Amino acid sequence: MLIAWKYRERNTVIQRLDPRARLIFMLSVLVSVIQFWDLRIILGFLTVALGQYFLAKLTWRETRRPWLLMGCIIVFLTFLTFLTGRGGVGTAYHEEHLLARLGPLSLPIVGWSFTLDVTAEKTVFAISQMVRMFAITAIAITIPYTIDPSLYGVTFRGLGLPDKFAYAMDLAFRYVPTLGRDFSITLDAQRARGYEVEKLSGGIISQIRKLAPLLVPVTINAIVGAEDVIDAMDLRCFGIGPRTWVRELKYGRADRALIVVSVLIFAASTATSIMGYGRLWVPGFVLAWAGG
Amino acid sequence: MTKKLIGWLVVMVAFIAIMLLANVLLGPDADKLQGVYWIVFTAIAVVILIVLYLISADNKAWEVGTRQVVYMAIGAALYGVFNWIFNTIPMPSVSQVALRPSVCIPIFFGYVFGPVVGFFTGAVGNIIGDFLTGWGVYPAWDIANGFMGLIPGLVLLFADKKRSLNFLTIVFGVLTLGVAALIFINPKVVGPWTGEIEDFSFWAWAFLIGGAVVIAGRFVLERINEDLAAVNIWGSLGIILGIGYAALADIWINGYSLATALIGEFAPAAGPNILNAMILVPILLGAYQAVQARIGR
Repeated sequence: MLIAWKYRERNTVIQRLDPRARLIFMLSVLVSVIQFWDLRIILGFLTVALGQYFLAKLTWRETRRPWLLMGCIIVFLTFLTFLTGRGGVGTAYHEEHLLARLGPLSLPIVGWSFTLDVTAEKTVFAISQMVRMFAITAIAITIPYTIDPSLYGVTFRGLGLPDKFAYAMDLAFRYVPTLGRDFSITLDAQRARGYEVEKLSGGIISQIRKLAPLLVPVTINAIVGAEDVIDAMDLRCFGIGPRTWVRELKYGRADRALIVVSVLIFAASTATSIMGYGRLWVPGFVLAWAGG
Repeated sequence: MTKKLIGWLVVMVAFIAIMLLANVLLGPDADKLQGVYWIVFTAIAVVILIVLYLISADNKAWEVGTRQVVYMAIGAALYGVFNWIFNTIPMPSVSQVALRPSVCIPIFFGYVFGPVVGFFTGAVGNIIGDFLTGWGVYPAWDIANGFMGLIPGLVLLFADKKRSLNFLTIVFGVLTLGVAALIFINPKVVGPWTGEIEDFSFWAWAFLIGGAVVIAGRFVLERINEDLAAVNIWGSLGIILGIGYAALADIWINGYSLATALIGEFAPAAGPNILNAMILVPILLGAYQAVQARIGR
């Protein structure tokens, strides 16, 4: 089984930036965008996120699958919130202007009947919610495609994580191809014995239980093999002193500028939010449509 | 090390105090800080973990040596690879119960190798899985997966597993009774679907019966093997708290209603995960104990 990282070298502006600065930027945008329900501000964050996405030269072809999956989840959960109608009540808005009343509608199977009030606030809240989730997705989705997995250990060390944890992270990324190969060998061996993972029969408990022949050998084999690695590391006095890393990361001028921008975005967003700005904004024409 | 942790603790407490102070100073409009509640929420979770660590810092469960570093790496890599594989291979599913066998990995690693290994396995494994599939980075869900591994690892804080089971059963019983009592005291609340006042006392009975079944199950499993009973209860608690944390965080992050968080996220994720874990973790644990007895480590 080929374990392929989504990362590849693209020589873009985004990839030339220090991964530490990029992670700080991502977290800053994430914790900033969640402070607002004003669609105009959220669209600003979406623009920033999409700007990063396009500067990274990611194509629709390579990101299609996660976009479609995340898109389905976002649309479904937004619709569910819209249907239940309680997402923004009491937090993002307190009064509602009725646009239309649907119903009484009845839910299949359970037979519950309810009336769906489509209000200006509820509708704009759903749109803002959807745009906000797409902004978060756009900022998050770029990371795996543009940061070299072999830099993760040194990146997190540089962000203040202790040596042992940073090393464990580095080691975990290195283990992935080995364990992928082990899984592939186990799967082939079980298939040779007539095991078909695609055609598990029986009830749900039986089906889950039948996955054990795949899961258990790979896990136990990895644990047994780990003992040799532990011995080797102990013999080399692992963890006695501070570590050095094969690849060093150094902040450039652009990285420092990005960190300053990230801090400013977070500080400005928090101050704006605390001052009471950035709450749900309902366009005048929608209110006029509702007769408000 | 302890000084550093106390420093962090002071920073976190100060941060929360400032937020609460700002909330008070800004008047009765509590929603002014609505956007930053999630940060406070996460900070509180971190503070709880640090306090938990500080009060049991002498316990060997928190030790991070070479063995733990290697098991953290292997656990995270396994969880990431399994997440990717079982998302890629077309798997059968029954009704709403998805076959997600990888969930047993953080629970198993947490229970066997301790809370630090469990947390790392869940959190970093989830990041690796998302990296392999190209889905991005979602901190709340990464932390939630970490909790799924950390909580079963807390069993190592108890010298005696039977005592841990008794403690957990009491906690579980008190929580169940508390929730049921709260519903009985105030059974009529706004319904998530209809928006009208509804009687929810049925759920109090559901909690009481469900709680009784879980507690009875603990005593039945304990007769077969103490570890099986322990890993199932600790694992289920880990999943409920972990997924619960992520689902609740999404109320602030994504603006879901409580109903959406519970129906759209918590129930479809926690239910199948518990079922997958309850079947596969004991099998994995049995195999590990057999190997452990053979190699003597």
